[in-house]
Amino acid sequence: MYCYLYDDYIQENKRFERELLKIENRLTDLGIAGKVSRLALFRNAEEMIRDEIQRGVSTIVVVGNDETMRKVIDVVADNEVVLGIIPIGPNNELARMMGIPQGEAACDVLSARRVEKIDVGIVNGRRFVTGLTMPNFHAEITCEDKFRVTSVARQAELEVRNLADVTDPRDGRFEAVIRAAVKKGWGIFGRTSFKESVFPLRSMAIRSEKPISLFVDGEEMRSTRFDIGIEPLLLKVITGKARVF
Amino acid sequence: MFKDKHKSDMPSSAPGETIIAQGVRVEGEFHSQGDVVIDGEVAGSVETLSSLTIGETAKIHADVKAKSAVVAGEVVGNIFATEMLELLATSHVKGDIVTGRISVAAGAQVNGKVSMGEGVTSGREKKTPSEQEETT
Repeated sequence: MYCYLYDDYIQENKRFERELLKIENRLTDLGIAGKVSRLALFRNAEEMIRDEIQRGVSTIVVVGNDETMRKVIDVVADNEVVLGIIPIGPNNELARMMGIPQGEAACDVLSARRVEKIDVGIVNGRRFVTGLTMPNFHAEITCEDKFRVTSVARQAELEVRNLADVTDPRDGRFEAVIRAAVKKGWGIFGRTSFKESVFPLRSMAIRSEKPISLFVDGEEMRSTRFDIGIEPLLLKVITGKARVF
Repeated sequence: MFKDKHKSDMPSSAPGETIIAQGVRVEGEFHSQGDVVIDGEVAGSVETLSSLTIGETAKIHADVKAKSAVVAGEVVGNIFATEMLELLATSHVKGDIVTGRISVAAGAQVNGKVSMGEGVTSGREKKTPSEQEETT
């Protein structure tokens, strides 16, 4: 049984009306139409999904974007239901990486139902699918309690990748990538280039004396310590042939 | 006419490969199962079950263990390479070497004892009859 979760930005925006109608018709043609639940400002997405799962829903399909996916990942992962997406509008990187085309075309991919289990990252108890970024990285990383990594460059950024164009989100590890600015030559003739270090890891901890900002799937978290781990093959997602992994 | 000064240098990493690039320092026991490329600084110990590449800009103050290794930078510590060790012209090694096979380019600097042969099993445990000693 399918449940379609419409994000509120789709319902509020008139320009998506025609596209939604096409999607609903196509889902009916394919025989995978289901219950429609609508997200709203004061409606808790997790509570709504929990209720639907209790009523026997086995597949939650998000009609929205990356932001909508972020709202449901925790509850979907905890309840072992399958997660799909019909991407509408901008900010749909996650759908692109899972090989799901925009709008009506996504219905055919959903109908084919190619389910993959993928890893889910976790930072300070909060789950993420794509990754984390720390644009101004001046902290110390302890990797798998065995070795420490620090940047000796003036300018550096940290990225943690789980699902990205170059990583496999089914290997039980994430990649910590540090891009450090290294200058060659003197004065105005010096050239700065970014050198990329890559560490495939299962766990890591970031420590800093001052509070630092970390962006989790694009959303900011601020703390002096971040504990990052991975939950292997936790999330069941519907993917298309064009997926990046 | 105007080139981008902030050029990104992103080597294509194979799955499971670790890259320690310039601008990064690693301290502690670094163990890996995949290939490792080091161009930055490492202190402690380095161990991999696959191949290890130590670039020209690398500064390693650690004991190094790998299946095979190519060294172009500075290593202060013992090197143990089960299969093959290649010392390039720019390499500086201060420590003992135990390896199955070795290739040393002209210009490479080695200060330490070199032990080699088929029966090599561990860094300091077993010595083979064909033990060589080389100090430059």
